[in-house]
Amino acid sequence: MMFEPKRLHPISAVINFVKGLKDAILPLAAVLFLNSNRGEGILGLLPYLISGLLLAFILIGGIVKWIRFTYWVEDGELRMEHGLFVKKKRYIPIDRIQSLDFSEGILHRPLQLVKVTVETAGSSNVTEAEAELTAIHKEEARQLEHFIDQIKHSSGEPAGEEDQSTRQLVYKMGMKDILVMALTSGGAGVVISGALVFLSQGLEFLPVDAIYDEMIDWLQFSFLFIAVLVLLVLIIAYGISVLLTVLRYSQFSVYLDSGDIIMTRGLLEKKQVTIPLNRIQGIRIDENLIREPLGYATVTIISAGGSLKNDSDQTLRVLPLVKRSDMQKVLKSILKDYELNLPLNTPPKRSKLRYIARFIWFPAVLSSIASAMFFPLGLLSLLLIPVFSWLGYMSYRHAGWNLKGHQLTLIRRFLVKQTYVMKKYRVQSMYKGQSILQRRTKLASIRATLKSGVGGESARIWYLEENDTHTLLSWYSHE
Amino acid sequence: MKVPTQRISTRALTLWRLYGVIQAGVAALLVIGTGITTYLFDWPLWPLLSVSIVLAAIIILNIGVIPSVRWKRWRYEVRDQEIELQYGLFIITRTLVPMVRVQHVDTEQGPLLRKYKLATISISTAATTHKVPALDEGEAEELRHSISSLARVAEDDV
Repeated sequence: MMFEPKRLHPISAVINFVKGLKDAILPLAAVLFLNSNRGEGILGLLPYLISGLLLAFILIGGIVKWIRFTYWVEDGELRMEHGLFVKKKRYIPIDRIQSLDFSEGILHRPLQLVKVTVETAGSSNVTEAEAELTAIHKEEARQLEHFIDQIKHSSGEPAGEEDQSTRQLVYKMGMKDILVMALTSGGAGVVISGALVFLSQGLEFLPVDAIYDEMIDWLQFSFLFIAVLVLLVLIIAYGISVLLTVLRYSQFSVYLDSGDIIMTRGLLEKKQVTIPLNRIQGIRIDENLIREPLGYATVTIISAGGSLKNDSDQTLRVLPLVKRSDMQKVLKSILKDYELNLPLNTPPKRSKLRYIARFIWFPAVLSSIASAMFFPLGLLSLLLIPVFSWLGYMSYRHAGWNLKGHQLTLIRRFLVKQTYVMKKYRVQSMYKGQSILQRRTKLASIRATLKSGVGGESARIWYLEENDTHTLLSWYSHE
Repeated sequence: MKVPTQRISTRALTLWRLYGVIQAGVAALLVIGTGITTYLFDWPLWPLLSVSIVLAAIIILNIGVIPSVRWKRWRYEVRDQEIELQYGLFIITRTLVPMVRVQHVDTEQGPLLRKYKLATISISTAATTHKVPALDEGEAEELRHSISSLARVAEDDV
């Protein structure tokens, strides 16, 4: 089985190479493009020489990395050894393994392979790369998972053998929801900026000077032309981003399996993420300015996972996009003891102006500087003030809290309305802040911190009635 | 809600003032430097003036006002089930940390703190760290022991 040291699937050499290439693409492009019109003879060839060497280096590196990496299970530990000159060993006790996450890239799928990421409990060193098996057979991954399950459950009751059958589908994202999510996501911005960078690189490559003279005649026409071009680029970028999101999230499903939440998604690249229920610290519901009017929200799990930090928000979205009206029902089937749509206690009327002031002071300073420096046109920046007052007012309108039994709900808004739902026994610390000015008007703010990833995540509400903050603090107090 | 009972050591006041004096010393060197260059190179007066204002502000605030206000605000209390802290100059914060959340307690002592027989204690949960500055050395030691014995490590949740 897996008690002998063994290598990953050879395809991982290719994956290493591709990964290395992705990291090196910017320096490579810099070497090739930026220096291309300088130096002659040998010097002119230098960039190609350098990039050729770099490529060879990456290729060999990928292969060596594959050859030197071995893994096996021994003494209740998952052991990995790698490194060419310095041998690095990493032994992970299996009962410290929190979960295995699977993902299948395009290279994995035809060969029935899977990439395994090992999530360990507790705060691991963030800078250290997480344990990862780049490509192993699916069958093997399943064995490993089964093995870990056995060891973990052996302390308690003898684990039932019907492990496969307990997996139970609780939520499947509809195509319509995925489409709405893709259409309203911010991914378009990323693609556009990428395209712009590419265009600016491309311009260097063209014989701009020669074209320039001809272009000057075109200038009248070209304003329109450029406008159309920009619009076209925007539309294409938007289309690509929509397509990518749809591919990434299609067949998004959530399963429950004996104390774990399992999320799978993806059409070309399949991903599977496991979150043990007892690591869940709370949930966060996000409603942004675009999705809220459409009645949609995103639900994210706040988990005390070890190494999820990097793309935690992506991976922990248990409901990437859900109709606000269905949310309660769907969430109930996944996490039984979290209650939504409870009546809210809100900040008092007298804090309305404070919210607005909090939002507009900075834009006010900015726009007065702008007005002074660019006198007539700069006055336009004053338009920022009503916009931010409105944001401040919305922030006041939506802020609120609720206590029910052991559950605390905090709602706050900046641009995105965020609803935090947490349990008393998961809150790491609670904090009341009151400035000297607030002391006279008996207002105070409250903040609760949860553990999230390797760090913390705080929910904070401004300008509550001071007595309310005392209610919250005594709810939290263990005395 | 009643205010936490314990205060931090009165020697903290002296120490914080000393920090202020050091800062003022640095600022004073700057003022002297600017003064000399103004004299030698016929600089305009405003650089010298602004540096002097900074010096004055440091003397008044960092030596005079801030240490005493800060000391007056600092309160803490360690109960069986939780730790409560109160501090802050403009924003007065009250923090509650339950004992079951505490993961470890450290004391630290820089050279100046050691000279004044003071120590800073920091209480870490899984997500946050809370510091009580400038406690009496013995008291900090005692506190560390009592917190770590009170903090029972919960098994399954973080």
